[in-house]
Amino acid sequence: MNNSETIFLPHESAISHVTGEASYVSDIQLRNNLLWGQVYFSPVAHATIKSYELTEALKIDGIVDILDFTRIPGINQLNTHMHDEPCLAGDKVTFIGQAIFLIAAKDRETALKAAKKIHIEFEQLEAIFTIENAMAKRNNLAPSRRIETGNPDKALESSKYRLKGRLETGAQEHWYLETQSALCVPGENRNMTVFASTQNPSETQNVVAEVLGLQSNQVICEVKRMGGGFGGKETQANPIAVWAALLADATRQPVLMQLSRDEDQKITGKRHPFLSKYEIGFDENGIITAYIVDLHGNSGSSFDLSIPILERAMYHADNSYFIENMRVTGTMWKTNLPSNTAFRGFGGPQGMAVIENAIDSIARFLKKDAAEIRFKNFYQTQTKNLTHYGQLVNNNRLSRLWDQLIKSSDYFERRKEIEKFNHSNNLIKKGLALTPVKFGISFTTAFLNQAGALVLVYKDGSVMVNHGGTEMGQGLHTKILHIAAKELGISKDNIIISPTNTSKVPNSSATAASSGTDLNGMAVKDAIRTIKKRLKPLAIKMLSKMNPTVNTGRIIFKNDRIYSKSNPEISISFAELAKQAHLEQISLSATGYYGTPNIYFDREKGKGKPFHYYAFGMAVSEVELDILTGNTRIIRTDILHDAGKSIHPEIDKGQIMGAFMQGVGWCTTEVIRWDAKGNLLNCSPDTYKIPGIGDFPLNYKAELLKNANNPNAIHQSKAIGEPPFMLALSVWLAIKDAISSVADHTKEPDFSLPASKEVVLLSIKKLKESL
Amino acid sequence: MKSNTIQFILDNEIYTIDWSKVDFLPSTTVLQFLRAIPGHTGTKEGCAEGDCGACTIVLAELTQDNKLTYKAIDSCLLFLPALHGKQLITIENLATKTPTATLLHPVQQAIVETNASQCGYCTPGIAMSVFGMYKTLKIPDTKNIIDSLSGNLCRCTGYGSIIEAAKMACNTIKPDHFSGIEPTIIETLKEINRSTDAIELSHKHQLYLLPKTLKQALELRGKYPQATIVNGSTDIAVRQNKTSEFHHQILDISSVTEIKQIITTNNYFQIGAGCSIEDFKKFVQQNFHEFSPITDHFASLQIRNVATVGGNICNASPIGDLIPMLIVLKAQVKTASTVNSRMINIEDFITGYRSIDLHNKELVTDIIIPKRDNDSYYFSEKVSTRRDLDISTLSIATIIKLSKEGTVDDIILVYGGLAATVKRAKSCETFLLGKQFTLSTISETINLITNDFTPISDARSTTEYRLETAGNLLLKCYYSVLNELESK
Repeated sequence: MNNSETIFLPHESAISHVTGEASYVSDIQLRNNLLWGQVYFSPVAHATIKSYELTEALKIDGIVDILDFTRIPGINQLNTHMHDEPCLAGDKVTFIGQAIFLIAAKDRETALKAAKKIHIEFEQLEAIFTIENAMAKRNNLAPSRRIETGNPDKALESSKYRLKGRLETGAQEHWYLETQSALCVPGENRNMTVFASTQNPSETQNVVAEVLGLQSNQVICEVKRMGGGFGGKETQANPIAVWAALLADATRQPVLMQLSRDEDQKITGKRHPFLSKYEIGFDENGIITAYIVDLHGNSGSSFDLSIPILERAMYHADNSYFIENMRVTGTMWKTNLPSNTAFRGFGGPQGMAVIENAIDSIARFLKKDAAEIRFKNFYQTQTKNLTHYGQLVNNNRLSRLWDQLIKSSDYFERRKEIEKFNHSNNLIKKGLALTPVKFGISFTTAFLNQAGALVLVYKDGSVMVNHGGTEMGQGLHTKILHIAAKELGISKDNIIISPTNTSKVPNSSATAASSGTDLNGMAVKDAIRTIKKRLKPLAIKMLSKMNPTVNTGRIIFKNDRIYSKSNPEISISFAELAKQAHLEQISLSATGYYGTPNIYFDREKGKGKPFHYYAFGMAVSEVELDILTGNTRIIRTDILHDAGKSIHPEIDKGQIMGAFMQGVGWCTTEVIRWDAKGNLLNCSPDTYKIPGIGDFPLNYKAELLKNANNPNAIHQSKAIGEPPFMLALSVWLAIKDAISSVADHTKEPDFSLPASKEVVLLSIKKLKESL
Repeated sequence: MKSNTIQFILDNEIYTIDWSKVDFLPSTTVLQFLRAIPGHTGTKEGCAEGDCGACTIVLAELTQDNKLTYKAIDSCLLFLPALHGKQLITIENLATKTPTATLLHPVQQAIVETNASQCGYCTPGIAMSVFGMYKTLKIPDTKNIIDSLSGNLCRCTGYGSIIEAAKMACNTIKPDHFSGIEPTIIETLKEINRSTDAIELSHKHQLYLLPKTLKQALELRGKYPQATIVNGSTDIAVRQNKTSEFHHQILDISSVTEIKQIITTNNYFQIGAGCSIEDFKKFVQQNFHEFSPITDHFASLQIRNVATVGGNICNASPIGDLIPMLIVLKAQVKTASTVNSRMINIEDFITGYRSIDLHNKELVTDIIIPKRDNDSYYFSEKVSTRRDLDISTLSIATIIKLSKEGTVDDIILVYGGLAATVKRAKSCETFLLGKQFTLSTISETINLITNDFTPISDARSTTEYRLETAGNLLLKCYYSVLNELESK
């Protein structure tokens, strides 16, 4: 018999994926009566609505209903905490893409035809789109925040060297392959069933209930899987579910809504663009003596998750470096863009990019290798191990990663080769960079770190596991399957992970913050522990009956058998045990619960322990740059990542590769431009370019750090979803290194993120002119 | 009796659509059709503009010698009538199923084994593209894999595992269950294609004309001069999908086999207007490899398989990829009507932004390209934000003839993406004529680019970038010629 624990199955839906059988919201087939829901959104960024006329639109054949804000039965509000996002605009619009009307029609074509007949009279108001403009107008979303340690002003004053800098990092569109979608089916007594593509079914349920004027127990939200999420469906999957629910409630017919790609790109928020200003002090060895940084984010039109994102950016302003004297100030600026939102890394990338760019500048200034400067400033294990917000960096694996990766990537050898190459080539330049990641794991809003599960054992021994987490491709259900199989000691073939459903597990947190497996895995383990506790006395009874001399000290559940540790030859099957339990009136289902212990933060003092633990990773990337076009390509990337004791190495490696490439997109080709009126110019894949298969590094190697058990999480594993995203900063800084070689590294190049061909070419042009 | 029906093979059975019985438009896309019939939701919509490949299907069609050829195609860019006489293979067809078991196709098995699916939404399209590769017996090296899959976006995996899957699947290609039924499929398709009558699909809001011969096409063009001409549909379908653009009459000439050929004579090549970009790409690799930097990175394989040379030219887009090289090659556009025929220089044929010199009873039938001048230097480059499946930010194509003394005897210098049409840099050309071909001459020429062009800033790039790069591309051209000179 195979030891089932060491076999890693492919993604639990892999076969459904490849046969096309895997079902997404818009694939659900209903018998009849299905209506198409269409949102009509504001074409202007900031205006008061003077009047509007729906009669002509309503006359079109096939239009069933058109709703405005007056038709909302409950609260006209999508944000249940901050109350700053009306579900449908009434007297005022604050961004292009804001919903004003909802159309129910027999099909999409008819709905679009009706939309053209709607007339609105706006009175335009002055609009703000950029951080600079918002600053000038003092239009901050909330008061600035500050975290400080040591005496940064004094330390900066007495630093041997000081450098000042400014860095812009760009927005990023999630570009999940499946656009936002929801199918709502009305039931008895105005109850509503919502099939949604949401990372947060409980919140979707709550918002639908509030807007419809129902209680939570009248709304069920179910998520089978998402065609990608990446943070874009953490809060921003709620609107479409609510819109479809409003239409279904009004028409008493099922309603499907799915945004077209262009609508999705226009309406939904992006990764927050940041503008950061810093001053950094250091000595002749490159040791950082002081760092003062102001992070400014563009929140868009409302709160959404902007403040926790800002906080995470501030927590990660140090990245992997011990900085004794440091002050980070963070401000979110309110603009007339769709509200920016969660995106893999959640502010972390924006905070880290600044310090990584600053260290790169230090190295150039001191004419030293940037990897060495990084190494010298890493957090240490015994001393120099306290972050600016006062959390101890435990189980620090930075120097282990550095030692191994420097060797396995031939970093210093290649540095020499690249230098040689650059001296003998004028049109093509190469660049190399190593960057580390230290990423804090937990929701920084402490109470969110909780999860529930419901495990059902059927009397034939098959098992269905329900938990509050959602599957968006990250392999959460596969990992939970492995956890459940290990805990129950049964084959994975006998376990099914149920679609996430709010009627099974209530009040779940979003599947976000990389915490899906950590939280839900623990909750599932807890439920299984309860069931096993109930089953053990029965197992002892059954085993003793088979052989009265059996030593029943320790009962083992393994390989589908239950036996005593000292008498493994006498065993019963899990199915036999389950069947007997049912006959003996023992409950075969249990809930499980987990709350992460000991997480807190004092926002007044800027001190605390916001994270349960840290994940670490490191990457070395080499790029080639065509200095005549500014185009770049990745020659080689080496990654070494700390995934703890991986529950599923192949899935973890898949997360690393996917996150890395998504980061590469943010750092290179994913350029977003708005025109002067706030229209998104790159609103389709025609002009918005996520990485394609040709952008994958010519040579790519990623490994998981060995012997890296994590005492803090399920089966000693580590969260994996977000941390590797920031490994792409190695590509970004390798590009800067290649640019810098044009002036033989004597001058600091202009640089920003993404390092688009435009940014690169103009930076080269300026360097050449300065020579 | 004019046929109001089309027939194709789906799920190994003949599928007939009779427009006297159905309500949807003939120009319904194959994607919309699949998603509306039972059991075919595996084909996904990711963008409805051919930029993501989630809707990839494979079409098997008869070659002239009655074999089957398999082509991966974006179903969102294909109008239903294009299926006529072909076998439509969807993701649901790859595995063989019994009531209790599913036997995966090697392509599917490889994706499962390499963990190449995450959220799964792009996976059916990826699988179909790899299947297309599998059936066309390509060597599964990284270059071919990237070439075959650059039309498929995946936001989850980062692609490395997909490359592995394609390698694994196509490493040892064995006959699959499609090979077994090929003889039957071929016979069925021959039967469907037996009639050479034009098909005229008549819907209450739309007349869709599908001629099969050039004669029929010209007659229909004469009869319906207002009909929108479709030759591949990869551009018009985008507009239909995204702007609800509606066409009352469509003349779809993509089934006219006579205009799909490339004919070589002693002095010139005759490229049929219906020649697919993929075939043209291969032609360029063999005859004018200096322009491969453009044709190799033209859209994606799914689009190149259906888009046509005639379509690209007649769109007359300022960023049309083929036009710069055709101007450089002094190509001529051959048009025909039922009564006469004209030859027009490509430069004169394009009269403005998306406007061409085509009379309302004419069709473009061929492009005539003179054979290469081995005494001249050719150069081209396409600059885009992403290497593959991206419209050019700007492009350059040139031909330069140098005298023995090293002066410029002749030059055609063309830029795409810098003006409302693809355009020659006439001041630069005039300046260069008779001058020594040196770096300093080139540097001086670069300063003249602003005389010829005032490029705009748009979603793809900025004025500043376009101008700077336009000059740099000329430098690139210079270094490339220099290289060739030195290697002689």
